[in-house]
Amino acid sequence: MATYILRRLIQTLGVVILLSYVCFYLMTLMPGDPVELMISSNPKITSEDVARLRSLYGLDQPAYKRYLNWVSQISSGDLGHSRTYRVPVSELLGPRLWNTFYLSMLALTFSILVALPIGVYTALNPGSRMDSIVSMLTFFGISMPSFLLALILIIIFAVQLNWLPAGGTETIGADNTGLAGILDRAKYLILPVLSLSLQSIGSFVRYARGSMLDVLRQDYVRTAKAKGLSYHVVIWKHAFRNALIPIITIIALSLSSVFSGALLTETVFAYQGVGKLVYDSIMGNDFNVAMVSFIISVSMVLLMNLIADILYGFVDPRISYQ
Amino acid sequence: MRTFCLLSLIAVLLNSPQVLANAKNQELKIGISQEFENLNPMIMTMSATSYIYAMVGRTLTTLDADLKWIPQLAKEIPSLEKGTAVIKDIKGTKKIVVYWDIIESAKWGDGVPVTCKDFAFSRKVALSPNVSIGSKEVYTKVEKIEWDPKTPKKCTFTYDKARWDFYDMGRFFPLPQHLEEPIFNKFSNKKEGYEKNSLYVKSPTTAGLYNGPYKISEVKLGDHISLSPNTHWSGTPPKIQKVIVKLIPNTGTLEANLRSGQIDMIGTLGMLAMDQALNLEKKVKSENLNFNVVFTPSITYEHIDLNLDNPILKDKAVRQALVYAINREELVNALFEGKQPVAEHLIFPKDPWYTNDPKLIKIYRYSRREAQRLLDEAGWVPGSDGIRVKNGKRLTLTLMTTAGNKSRELVQVYLQEQWKQAGIEINIKNEPARVYFSETTKKRKFQGMAMYAWVSSPENNPKVNLSSKNIPTEKNGFSGQNYPGWSNKTVDMACENLDTEFSSQKRRELAIQILKAYTEEVPVIPLYYRSDVSVVPPGLKNYRPTGHQYSETNEIEKWTF
Repeated sequence: MATYILRRLIQTLGVVILLSYVCFYLMTLMPGDPVELMISSNPKITSEDVARLRSLYGLDQPAYKRYLNWVSQISSGDLGHSRTYRVPVSELLGPRLWNTFYLSMLALTFSILVALPIGVYTALNPGSRMDSIVSMLTFFGISMPSFLLALILIIIFAVQLNWLPAGGTETIGADNTGLAGILDRAKYLILPVLSLSLQSIGSFVRYARGSMLDVLRQDYVRTAKAKGLSYHVVIWKHAFRNALIPIITIIALSLSSVFSGALLTETVFAYQGVGKLVYDSIMGNDFNVAMVSFIISVSMVLLMNLIADILYGFVDPRISYQ
Repeated sequence: MRTFCLLSLIAVLLNSPQVLANAKNQELKIGISQEFENLNPMIMTMSATSYIYAMVGRTLTTLDADLKWIPQLAKEIPSLEKGTAVIKDIKGTKKIVVYWDIIESAKWGDGVPVTCKDFAFSRKVALSPNVSIGSKEVYTKVEKIEWDPKTPKKCTFTYDKARWDFYDMGRFFPLPQHLEEPIFNKFSNKKEGYEKNSLYVKSPTTAGLYNGPYKISEVKLGDHISLSPNTHWSGTPPKIQKVIVKLIPNTGTLEANLRSGQIDMIGTLGMLAMDQALNLEKKVKSENLNFNVVFTPSITYEHIDLNLDNPILKDKAVRQALVYAINREELVNALFEGKQPVAEHLIFPKDPWYTNDPKLIKIYRYSRREAQRLLDEAGWVPGSDGIRVKNGKRLTLTLMTTAGNKSRELVQVYLQEQWKQAGIEINIKNEPARVYFSETTKKRKFQGMAMYAWVSSPENNPKVNLSSKNIPTEKNGFSGQNYPGWSNKTVDMACENLDTEFSSQKRRELAIQILKAYTEEVPVIPLYYRSDVSVVPPGLKNYRPTGHQYSETNEIEKWTF
């Protein structure tokens, strides 16, 4: 097992390095650079200013040299400065990563807690009225565009009912601590979490139901029933445990995006997460922010896939890591 | 018990101060949709940063809502007539020496007086090769700043040449020398060393960094900035005790925040789209909402550049016909309910150089008949499908703009239909803004027409856009913004002379020469001036949006709410 994990970690590192160069190079191919963006906002910038700024930012060097400079900078522990906000990347990204993490984890946890029991229940009662209603609702959840759902939630709960804030991360200047602070953050998280969860609940229910139905038709479940095992043992120990393998894959992939941010949801709710920051950094050629976010996203995807592979072994003892 | 707990939780959530918060005179929450950066005035490049900085930092002069230069930290604006500005011959070059007097009581937020030292220090920082200031010319136009240590608020500025616009100091910001100089001295030899270690980055709530009516009490980049009154401010004391500028990137959410009472107003940096603003204005009336939607015509000039290398557009008659064939009055009324005024040319109506006198410049009133006459004379005759042809070639042009900009896309369709009626076929080809501005317009790759906007300032020499020296080519590294590729000797000469002409009357005459050629030769089709939109509570007094780059927040101390 240890050798397997080590091998995968080395592979992960290789993939991250390779992809980071590809990503960096692709960003350099985009039309325009940070200086051109400055020109568009300040018509008084002269061609001498442009040449000076390009040299100062190192934009006059070839892509590979700039990449190597970035690698040497990041390996010394310096994440660099944001060219857009003109502050250290760590200062900018740190709090936003945590905000995104809270939002994504809450949404994911809520989705799993709601979706798995519903998925199992509908699989155990296929074709029932409840199964039909749940199917309809899940398709509604899956097909509803997240920005539209977000706007509907805002209109109902913030504008019409005035129960919850229309957007933000926390009450400005409230300086709440302890329980009051948690409640304050909770108030701002309810609508974004709902907006994010409704879509994932739909797909998780479909996966859980499908996987459980597959397993329920397997010979070993029939054997377990024939052996006279109790209903609960057959369902939860023999069927559900085996049905978990595809669900783990889906959850692991969802977990990999907990630090990537939800661009639309964060933008609509003016939630101070990492999603919009990354989008803006790519559009604004803010290399340092974009690259650090990229490394985090890629590493999370690879790491979560590794964790999923390891978990398969625990769920299904037939899977070996030799 | 469980129900009780749930009800208590809901009660706590609903009764928290934020949900109930409706700003009284104590607090004003302004919503904007544009990002802001750190508030070092020398480095800032974003419009939202300038908008916020005007609340906390002032300089010698600024431009007010009437487009007049007014003193801020200066006692008055020097002039040649009063002898506070003098043209001198220094080492064979005519230069202007200006005596600026800083207001005696002007202080930084920590009580330290604002002096000539602060201006000299900011110039020193701007000149450093390791500081990434955008436009250096703002600071390098002043060659020398001198003062007598006994009178540290009486500064002598020697400019690099005899400039008539010496009073344009709105972007020459002082830096608090007593706080920032040690940092500059320590890090100035490293690339971007000063700006990365400046107190504006490391400790932005330091009161001494600001000399305006407010100081920063909290900053969360990408979210909000809170401001409180600067107790050392010597001007009109600000009435509003707390100002919060909240960033809400989505304009739909911005509106929802306004309607739910989370923000009190949407500033001009809210950048509501025109259709959204018009809809909101209707809702305000129909639902009796307690807001005023304010439309302020701005100096942002929406126009269509014609590529004069295009064989069809080389013909002046075709270019004039293009303008005659479109009813711009009807366009602004139909699409913008008349809130964005028609532009006759590039100069804004409040500008001293503006004219719409038909004796001085060519004025185009919609006339399909005149358009048809010009096209007939140019040899373009109607084909079987109504589109004109000449030597077997159809009169087809490509009109480009930024993809996804709803207003511009509507205008495109409107113009396409009007030109079709005159026998001109228009193909629409739009591109993402990034490609459009970085490649297509900048490198003059558009084949026919390119629609976009530019921002200028009053009495602004238009040489960047109109002088033939500024036609972007590969040779000059695609510098300059004369995208049509227009070359006119009279205009080139007038642009050169504008810089050095001290008589305001003569400057106006030169500007009119330019406008005459511009309207006669039509290198550009003027469309309309965009309007800035803000949504304010009716109780907000003394709020005057400016319509130019020196925002309304330069007068925030006068606002009452």
